[in-house]
Amino acid sequence: MSDHAAAHEAPTSTGIDHKKLIMWLFLASDCMFFGTLISTHLLYRKLFPAGFTDAEGHQRFIQDLFSIELTSFSTFILLMSSFLMALAVSAMHKGQLKSFRRNVLGVIIFGLIFLGCQVFEFTHFYHKGLTIQNSVLGSTFYVLTGTHGTHVAIGVLWLILLYFYSFTGKLGGHMGALDVEVAGLYWHFVDIVWIIIFTAVYLVEYLGPYGIWGSGLPAVVK
Amino acid sequence: MSHDSHHAPVACKTELAPERSDLGLYRPDRATGWTDWLTTVDHKKIGIMYGAFAMMYFLIGGVEALAIRTQLARPDNDFVTARMYNQLFTMHGTTMIFLGVMPLSAAFFNFLVPLQVGARDVAFPRLNAFSLWTFVFGAFVLNASWLFEFGHLAGWFDSFAWHKALVYTDFAPANGWFSYAPLSGTFGANGQALRFTGVGTDFWIIGIQILGVASLAASFNFICTIINMRAKGMTMMRLPVFTWMTLVTSVLIILAFPAITVALIELMFDRAFGANFFNPSAGGQPVLWQHLFWIFGHPEVYILVLPAMGIVSEVLPTFTGKSLFGYPIIVFSGAVIGFLGFAVWSHHMFTTGLGPVPTAAFSLLTMAIAVPTGVKIFNWLGTIWGGRIRFTPPMVLALGFIWMFMCGGFSGVMHSSAPADSQQQDSYFVIAHFHYVLLGGVLLGLMAGLYFWFPKIFGRMPNAPVAYLGSALVILGFNLAFGPMHYLGLAGQPRRTHTYHAGNGWETWNFVATIGAYVLGIGVVIVFGNLVWTAFRGKKCGNDPWDGRTLEWSLPSPVPEYNFAQAPVVASRDAYFEHKHGAKKIGAENDGGEAGVHMPSQSWMPMLASAGFLFIGFGMPMMAMGIPHAGWLVITGLGVLFLGIWLWALEGPGGYMLKTPAPSGAPAPAETVAH
Repeated sequence: MSDHAAAHEAPTSTGIDHKKLIMWLFLASDCMFFGTLISTHLLYRKLFPAGFTDAEGHQRFIQDLFSIELTSFSTFILLMSSFLMALAVSAMHKGQLKSFRRNVLGVIIFGLIFLGCQVFEFTHFYHKGLTIQNSVLGSTFYVLTGTHGTHVAIGVLWLILLYFYSFTGKLGGHMGALDVEVAGLYWHFVDIVWIIIFTAVYLVEYLGPYGIWGSGLPAVVK
Repeated sequence: MSHDSHHAPVACKTELAPERSDLGLYRPDRATGWTDWLTTVDHKKIGIMYGAFAMMYFLIGGVEALAIRTQLARPDNDFVTARMYNQLFTMHGTTMIFLGVMPLSAAFFNFLVPLQVGARDVAFPRLNAFSLWTFVFGAFVLNASWLFEFGHLAGWFDSFAWHKALVYTDFAPANGWFSYAPLSGTFGANGQALRFTGVGTDFWIIGIQILGVASLAASFNFICTIINMRAKGMTMMRLPVFTWMTLVTSVLIILAFPAITVALIELMFDRAFGANFFNPSAGGQPVLWQHLFWIFGHPEVYILVLPAMGIVSEVLPTFTGKSLFGYPIIVFSGAVIGFLGFAVWSHHMFTTGLGPVPTAAFSLLTMAIAVPTGVKIFNWLGTIWGGRIRFTPPMVLALGFIWMFMCGGFSGVMHSSAPADSQQQDSYFVIAHFHYVLLGGVLLGLMAGLYFWFPKIFGRMPNAPVAYLGSALVILGFNLAFGPMHYLGLAGQPRRTHTYHAGNGWETWNFVATIGAYVLGIGVVIVFGNLVWTAFRGKKCGNDPWDGRTLEWSLPSPVPEYNFAQAPVVASRDAYFEHKHGAKKIGAENDGGEAGVHMPSQSWMPMLASAGFLFIGFGMPMMAMGIPHAGWLVITGLGVLFLGIWLWALEGPGGYMLKTPAPSGAPAPAETVAH
């Protein structure tokens, strides 16, 4: 590699690699991005706590839709994918390419399972009457969780490309480990955002007998 | 290795052997002429292109402004229709802010930041090219709305079924630069998505979205460059103030743009897919748009003004022969302005009825933000005080900046009082205020920067008498145009109204304002024309014609592509000024001179990826027009974007070695420089 590699690994003023720094900056920006989307959803939940009206004109509560068991499962899967991602990064730092491939394949599969759950959830909600068009709740819910799903999909695509790239023999050394670590930062961030969404959009609806917004479906009725 | 042919250092890149990327494609490293400019990753060439496009859009926005002023020259005028007038003022504001001031600031960021921190390029050269082309294509999409509008007026579309089906036919954006919902949004229950405005709004949404991508990518890059690529000894508190203001501006961009990105996505979902974010018929809250817009929009004001403040902080010390008065305070004030800039957005919304507590809080914070701004102005005055002032063209423009910006600041503080603001809202008083800030302030500051650094960029000196004439006309015409608007606003003339009746007492001052606008227009053409002439025909000047203070003046003019033959080592603030006037403050790092300087390879991929946005940018509004199969354009665009990024990742960083001329007068090795 000689002088080219040397030039790219030139020490930076802070000692942090450019690629890692720019990913942190992007994530800072993405925090504001998701913050705005989550705020929009919560504002409208507070304004219209009652839920939505389906195609037959029936008043529906958000707890009618949610299958908290399914979402908890997909949340768990996504959390575990972060664990595998950490293992993949660690393997790459040690130069263990096979272990890297095994773990990153796990991350990809777990990511796809999460996306599958989301597709199922969206279809299910749609058939129960929540559409992007029939209520503000539908608009904010689908756009917020859909945007997160898009982030996961981009991450899965990125990891698939890295997985196949690792067979060319060009993924290695300090720069290879850095590339994987940067992808890992992104993946962990997307995971953390989901933890916040899972809490703020799903779990709080089950707080207290009528949900945190005060007029949900009583838990006993469900 | 595929790069073997590039291992032997060359004196000039045209001597390079043809290089294949990791994919086996040729890289345009040896290119000259057009290909060189289209594939360049050199921050200086990218900066020059940013500047050229920005000046072109300044003139286009200026023509729109003159059309507005011509319409308002006399009462009950019919120079343009009300429909056209709406499109003119919307595109005027959007063009000046997003296609004029921001890219011209970006031109300075690009050209100066690596030179001022002592680096050979930005942290991500190809990403930098991507920012440029994304800006170029986004700007084109926004202005392409005019082409559709003219096609519509000429009757070209009349025979098409999709055209007959359109309810509203304003093809250029017509909602004002902040596109308030519900006017920009939809109404009607259950996904009917009935619209108040035509497809101009869709052009605006996608255009601003694309420009946002360009700004975000550029800002990530500049923060990385400033934090991570400083020369040895260049501590944060030795950075030139312009670089500091670039850093603050970039942080503002990465934290403020996500709010408008989300707002635009929500508005797009309303219009394209029948969502209800801002749809009042379904419970959507139009005021949410105002909040999201101004959470972006107020930091945006500081995104526009901080670079100009940075420029002035460089120009004043140079032409007074003194170091900047209170450097740490100026830097700190800039950071405080950036921070407080996020806490004052609702002062744009006093009349929406926020309630007494938020109104009082936002009033107070707005008054508070005047403090760091005032601190800066006093520091600039302190810099001039007792200095040996040289009234060169950049100095005249910089002094004009202080004076005009202060006037804008005074009327700004008046707005912070909510009761007064509710009288001034939507009147010409507001127009007067922000033109004093943005034109008298920002544009004069940017012009000062252009005249200051043009000798460095092109190695040629602008014609001084012509520059004085142009500057005088700009300042005179500007005050003539916008001074009377204070009065007109307080006398009740509403903004965004295409005409007014005689007898309100507005006739005289509107006529004066129009005369002023034309004088201003002539002045701007002279100022810009002089610069264009300078770039090609100006008298050649030395490397340091102004007796400059910062690192860029230590380099040859024009600056060679590798910037620094040897990486500098810096021992003080204003190192170059002290260095050449006695104290030894700049050394050179021994970075292996024999092997040459590592240069990044050029690439087509950034432009290819950006071209994806061009397809998306045309596809979305054409879908909104109901043109059949337009959705395929969007899908093609996404494909091109992905392909560009994919090939970009696979072509590898590349790079070649360039021999630099032997350093003359052998600079001191790093060790001997006192820190």
